[in-house]
Amino acid sequence: MSAATVENTTFDGTLEGVASTERFLTFSSNGLNIGVSTNYVIEIITNHMITMLPLVPDYVTGIINLRGQIIPIIDIRLRMGNPSIDNTSSTCIIVLNINSVQIGIIVDAVQQVMDIDQSQISPVPVENQQKLINGMVSSSDRSVILFLDCEQLVQTF
Amino acid sequence: MDNMLEMYLYETNTLLEQLDELLIEAEKNKDFTTNDVNEIFRSMHTIKGSSAMMEFSSLMEIAHHIEDLFFYIRENGLDSMDESHKNELFSLMFQSTDALRSEVEKIENDEPLSTNIDPIITNINSFLKKISGSKDSSSDSGSADGEKTSDNTADEQAIAIINQELAGAPDSDLPYFIRIFFEQGSGMEHLRAFMIVTALRDIELDFKFYPEDVETNGDSSESIIENGFYVALSSQENVERALRVIKEQNSVETYEVMENAALKKEKQAPDTSGESPAENDASGNASPAASPSPAQKAPAQKTAPSQSAAPAAHNSAPAKTSLISVNLSKLDSLVAIVGEIVITESMVTSSPDLQNLKLDNFLKSARQLRKLTDELQDIAMSLRMVPVSGTFQKMNRIVRDMKKKLNKDVRLTIIGENTEVDKTIVDSIGDPIMHIVRNSMDHGIEENVEDRIAAGKNPQGEIVLSAAHTGSEVIISISDDGQGMDPEKILAKAERNGILTKPASEYSQKEALALLMLPGFSTNEEVTEFSGRGVGMDVVKKNVESVGGTISLSSEVGKGSCTTLKIPLTMAIADGMEVSVGKSMFTIPIANIRQSFKAQKEDVILDSNGNEIIKCLDDFYPIIRVHELYNINTEITSIEDGILLWVETADKSYCLFVDELLGEQQVVVKPLPSFLGNFNIKNSGISGCTILGDGNISLILDIRTLYAAFYNQY
Repeated sequence: MSAATVENTTFDGTLEGVASTERFLTFSSNGLNIGVSTNYVIEIITNHMITMLPLVPDYVTGIINLRGQIIPIIDIRLRMGNPSIDNTSSTCIIVLNINSVQIGIIVDAVQQVMDIDQSQISPVPVENQQKLINGMVSSSDRSVILFLDCEQLVQTF
Repeated sequence: MDNMLEMYLYETNTLLEQLDELLIEAEKNKDFTTNDVNEIFRSMHTIKGSSAMMEFSSLMEIAHHIEDLFFYIRENGLDSMDESHKNELFSLMFQSTDALRSEVEKIENDEPLSTNIDPIITNINSFLKKISGSKDSSSDSGSADGEKTSDNTADEQAIAIINQELAGAPDSDLPYFIRIFFEQGSGMEHLRAFMIVTALRDIELDFKFYPEDVETNGDSSESIIENGFYVALSSQENVERALRVIKEQNSVETYEVMENAALKKEKQAPDTSGESPAENDASGNASPAASPSPAQKAPAQKTAPSQSAAPAAHNSAPAKTSLISVNLSKLDSLVAIVGEIVITESMVTSSPDLQNLKLDNFLKSARQLRKLTDELQDIAMSLRMVPVSGTFQKMNRIVRDMKKKLNKDVRLTIIGENTEVDKTIVDSIGDPIMHIVRNSMDHGIEENVEDRIAAGKNPQGEIVLSAAHTGSEVIISISDDGQGMDPEKILAKAERNGILTKPASEYSQKEALALLMLPGFSTNEEVTEFSGRGVGMDVVKKNVESVGGTISLSSEVGKGSCTTLKIPLTMAIADGMEVSVGKSMFTIPIANIRQSFKAQKEDVILDSNGNEIIKCLDDFYPIIRVHELYNINTEITSIEDGILLWVETADKSYCLFVDELLGEQQVVVKPLPSFLGNFNIKNSGISGCTILGDGNISLILDIRTLYAAFYNQY
């Protein structure tokens, strides 16, 4: 596990500080900043050998052997309909446990962990609805963070 | 709460199973023994108690009434019933255990319990009335509730007395017993007992001992071995004094203090709550046999849910107390971890960092480690192995029920019931075996006894159920000595059902029998309650194949038929052939491979659709190129460069084209993550995966579904 890329800087989104805040791990994918609740995050791994699977949608990159556990891997770029890119040094896999389904997502880079007040999360405007996103918030440095709909990620089709 | 429910279900199911076996056995002998009656009484008492605690009222009611019934039978002796009563009692008991079991199943499936249990209770009550005639009024026949509370203490005492009788305790007017067991095989038990007597006399204690003739009678040893040596004492104080002496004696294995339950009942003494301070904790060794009064120490009952439930543990024979029940998921994770250790071990010892180094000590330790991990793996695997006897015993019941219904006289012979198979496999072969046994009963054994006699056979039909090990497989066969299957009839029937693929005259006997296992085939003209719904053997075949087994039929007209199941010992480990295609690695189960060979370009023929076909041993088989099917980039695309594997499953046979064979190895089969089920991965020819020595993953090909995947593409 390489936690080195994760800076543990907390972001105080509220003045009160007592409102219901939740921790989010943010990562970038195709130029977007996306957050995922740390409740789901197990670990972040890099440079893992992925075994390809035949006859599956292209966004299912394959499976990995994580200390004896077989975990399916999804490329979040392809899942959202964006073109995939070659691995860079910052590319990594975030292993998530969503309702006891383990899954890894390939992201361009992991950014930081921040506390976000849930009341500040606004829904995505209807006309801009995007797959897998269930909310957004603008952070202090003018950037916008989108929230990953984890449930939808592992939904059965 | 969940834990308690689990415990409850486990306990109740075990009791019901024991009860079923006991009933079958008793019915065979056409009579109950006193022991049987006591045992049923106790089981029902336990079920009643724990069901009441869990608030499963329907279960409690049924158990309660059976308990009443057997209380009466116990009190009045078995002789009070005549033959017809006994027969009725057997049917009633089977009916009641079925009712109990269906209720338990409902609990397991989280369904609401049935609220209407009156029919069964009425049955029990009317039977009780019948046997008790008019002379007895104390046992309730009307209301279900009411006397429960008053009954309870009486029940406890009754049970204590039964236990005491079972333990062979002597009649005595002294309130305390010390029951002593000597070490197994120590010999001369009666003299050892007499030594205790002498030692106790030395401290001038007032006591009695049983058997009384230990000094002179050598035969008393046997009763001492079986029931223990009893010392009866008058007071708690004396008990303690005696214990001090007994502790010092050699070859005393265990001892326990118990109160004289029979006496207690007479006295109705208020202070006999079952506590005896000088419990045998000192010996640190729970008595192997039954201990009547102190319910709280029953060792087998880890979480005895209630006071009333505890006495049931006593009926377990000494051998059983060395068993513990473990959650299957815990075992699974143990096996998984051991699998990991085996893989990691080979990762460490074959690490590329170590190459070209001369490490004598390291290699020595590594060899030792390998030996230990191999052993560990064997043990872990053996933990999941259970004897097939449970499944086989259930067949007794089926044969019994059908015997009654169909009016055929059949006996079931069971051979090799101690054969051990992986737990998941045992669970999944129960239904197929049941189906085949039913078929044998229904279609196999002749309708009329005259037919059997005319054919020179024993009027009583026989079904033989046998299990045996052969290397990595278990062979289970179910054979009957009935009328056998007539290939002509099968073919005629198949023709009518339109499932023949060639003229009937061209079918060999073996092929004709194989028709039986096609969907929608049933030779019986009439649909009966037990079999003949036309979903028979094809489902059986599917079930057997789902655990990696095969099924075959043989039959001779007039002599009988035999169904043989070949089942792998375990599904967790398989022999596989590693092959490579491009950069990917696949494992093909060795069992599916018939042959591997190199082919020349000219050997390959194209059919009208452009699919490749090759001839092996006078037959033509399609070629499936794995790299094309799975879109894998590989340099090896010409038939001459790669290698062909001729593979076969039950009904499909074809050739796989792969780049290279890497070698044979045992693999630990891991299921694919459930998430991938979304993409129908099971139908793309991949049944699971395995982790190779270097930590990489190899996908295990499923020869059957791979063929389907290939044809669905086009």
